[in-house]
Amino acid sequence: MNERLRLLFAEAVDIKFEHLQNSEMSIEIAYIAPLCEENKINDFIIVPFTKDAYPFQSQLDTNPEYRQVEDIAKWQELLLRGHVLIQANQIIYAFDASRIISIENPQTQVESAIQGPQLALSEDLNISLNLIRSMYPSPDLSVEEHTIGSLSKTPILALFDQRRVDPSVLDTVRDKLTSINVEMLHAAGELEKLLVGKRKHLFPTILITERPDRISKAISKGKVVILLKGNMFAIILPATFFDFMHAMEDDYDAYWMTRFLIFLRYASIVLTITLPALYISVVSYNPEVFRVQLAFSIAGSRSGVPYPSFVEVFIMLFMIETLIEASIRLPRYIGSTATTVGGLILGQAAQQAGLVSSIMIIVTSVVAISNFVIPVNSLSFAIRFLKYPLIAVSIFFGITGVAVGLFVYITYLCNLRSFGKPYMRIFGKLRPLEGDVGQVNVE
Amino acid sequence: MNRYVFYNFIMVSFINLLLFVPHILIEARFSGAVSSMIVGTVIGTILVYMYTSAMARYPGKGLPEILKLHFPQWLVAICMFCSAIMWWFGTTIVVVAYAILINRFFNPDANSIIILTMLILACGYAATRSTLSVMFVIEIGLIVNAPVIIFILFKAVRSTQLNFDAIRVVANYVTAMPTLSAVAAASFIFTGYINLSLFNRLLPPNFRFKFRWIYPVFGITIMLITFFVPIGFHGTEAVNQYTYIWSVTADSLIMQYGFIERVLFLFLIVFLNLTLVYTMCGWHQAMEFIKCCFRNYKPEIDSPKTPVANYVIIGIFASLTMLYLLLTNEKMNMFITSYWLVVRMFVEFVIVLTVFLLSRRRPKTT
Repeated sequence: MNERLRLLFAEAVDIKFEHLQNSEMSIEIAYIAPLCEENKINDFIIVPFTKDAYPFQSQLDTNPEYRQVEDIAKWQELLLRGHVLIQANQIIYAFDASRIISIENPQTQVESAIQGPQLALSEDLNISLNLIRSMYPSPDLSVEEHTIGSLSKTPILALFDQRRVDPSVLDTVRDKLTSINVEMLHAAGELEKLLVGKRKHLFPTILITERPDRISKAISKGKVVILLKGNMFAIILPATFFDFMHAMEDDYDAYWMTRFLIFLRYASIVLTITLPALYISVVSYNPEVFRVQLAFSIAGSRSGVPYPSFVEVFIMLFMIETLIEASIRLPRYIGSTATTVGGLILGQAAQQAGLVSSIMIIVTSVVAISNFVIPVNSLSFAIRFLKYPLIAVSIFFGITGVAVGLFVYITYLCNLRSFGKPYMRIFGKLRPLEGDVGQVNVE
Repeated sequence: MNRYVFYNFIMVSFINLLLFVPHILIEARFSGAVSSMIVGTVIGTILVYMYTSAMARYPGKGLPEILKLHFPQWLVAICMFCSAIMWWFGTTIVVVAYAILINRFFNPDANSIIILTMLILACGYAATRSTLSVMFVIEIGLIVNAPVIIFILFKAVRSTQLNFDAIRVVANYVTAMPTLSAVAAASFIFTGYINLSLFNRLLPPNFRFKFRWIYPVFGITIMLITFFVPIGFHGTEAVNQYTYIWSVTADSLIMQYGFIERVLFLFLIVFLNLTLVYTMCGWHQAMEFIKCCFRNYKPEIDSPKTPVANYVIIGIFASLTMLYLLLTNEKMNMFITSYWLVVRMFVEFVIVLTVFLLSRRRPKTT
């Protein structure tokens, strides 16, 4: 066996080929050392074989951990997955000794909750499955394995409740998973793009999460969850716009408070999208819309600014966007410095230098802050983009343009489908009720 | 899912403010407007009841599918083509009038052709979407805008400026005989049910129309407000001097504590949204009806890919709308509208009666 394996692999020092012999028999073993747990190899192969207290052949036959391998073509793959190949009496056995390096039980970082479960998914599929299974102890939980990526061979698991899952969604997911054709796959975001299939999309139609409680809730609602090996994030589909606006804490806290928070989120979405555009249209087109005092104070604060309002908006938005981008990418310790310098000093100075009006500074900070209120990051990014087309329209058409632009956005959102389910629909259930609209064509 | 029927009804009854309905009624205020409103209510209510009970017998089928069950293809094609033109025209009047309205009140410097281009681009994009998406947009548009409209109407009714004497004077002309154009204008407020011609496709089997009494009650309320509130604000004589009577009426109101002081701007923005939704809805129906004229057409309520035919038809609609703006002016638009309202009323009579008779006849044949 070892001679053939030597031919199959490129010259590499970390592949171990050993020949062992005891009083009774001789075996050949082969493994890639960094991928395997040396302890496990010692405990299960080398020590029992050399001690010779119990016949090794019968151990190979009885213990199901040693799987017999008949197909030579599988040797390479098994070795690369951290298996040990054993040849005894011309029969090849494979033994799983793989070592997976992952963060042990990480805390939630991206979607934090104050009083919810604090554990996040793990990079190891088994630990993640353990978390989900213990949160969703139901015999109906079905787990399917697929492999994606011709080079990376990333194992992925599809989880769903076999009684509650929507069969049409499940069929499309299976279709898509089998038809994906890529070389490498490492991140949940990558898989999201492949699943959506559209090359240019703005809104996320698939929810990426790290919270096991969100996942178990999604499974109970009949959604499909996809886990990736080596990734702390799971994919939930189908997802609606309202799922992205939902923080897990909304289910844990007091009713009226959470309703208020939800209202706050939608209000801040409207603000963050429209405020810069409204500023331009009020200042440059329709100052008479506001009451006289307000119109005067806006005009007064702009009296020192030498250029039209949209230039001002572009300057401030450029500054705030670069600031946000910088504080995300910088190491955590420098990040806070960047925000202080940018936010406090630059903003104040820009206003005093007469580059922008003080109202514009308020507009900019409202835009930035209300954008952070959105609980799921991918939607927050999509929303961040939405203000720019509106600004462009408002430069030419004023308030009318903003209203028309919002109408187009709503149409776009209503037109989106997440795996055949409507993305934005008020008062609609994801699983259509008996007697819902649009069922006639379904059958 | 009765709310989806309500949405259509409410939308059309609100949009009457932009279709010169108040203007036509007020013009005839001494010569039969009040009695026409009573006749219009009766006609509208009867048509609502007839059409809903007829449509309930054809779950999941739009008007073209129902006609195709009983008539040859060429006859259906002609009928559908005519009704498509009707629908297109009704919405085009509104969107053109609104483009001019924006030019009057919002952006006096802008060219109304450019404003109209923007409006029809937005409506055209929206109208090419699938029927289900269009329904969702109508829903969101109404849920967002209807409260504001009701707030404005409520504010107008409760205003201390409202002169009830003038209203009483006009109401006393109830004995004058109704006129055709005023009846047509009054019955337009009840005409939202006709959108079922297409949206009945969405309604599920075993669908039952509930709370049908709401339609006449709501329609009468809106009609009384649209007609009497401007009279109360401007007096019996002066009220006839304005073309955009409701914009001027909204401008008579003030919001004392708001950011926006003049109700006019709130009114204009809200009705802009409503115009967009209404135009989208009308164009979408007209587009689907034109598609029905082709033999190999299969009705689809939520196609994953937008067919190219949608873009072609809507493109033709959009360019015709531009042409309409170039060829007409406000006065002509109003003139055409009053005729369109009359024609629409008779076309609706024909459609409703046909479908009603067909639905009664069907149990014997099957």
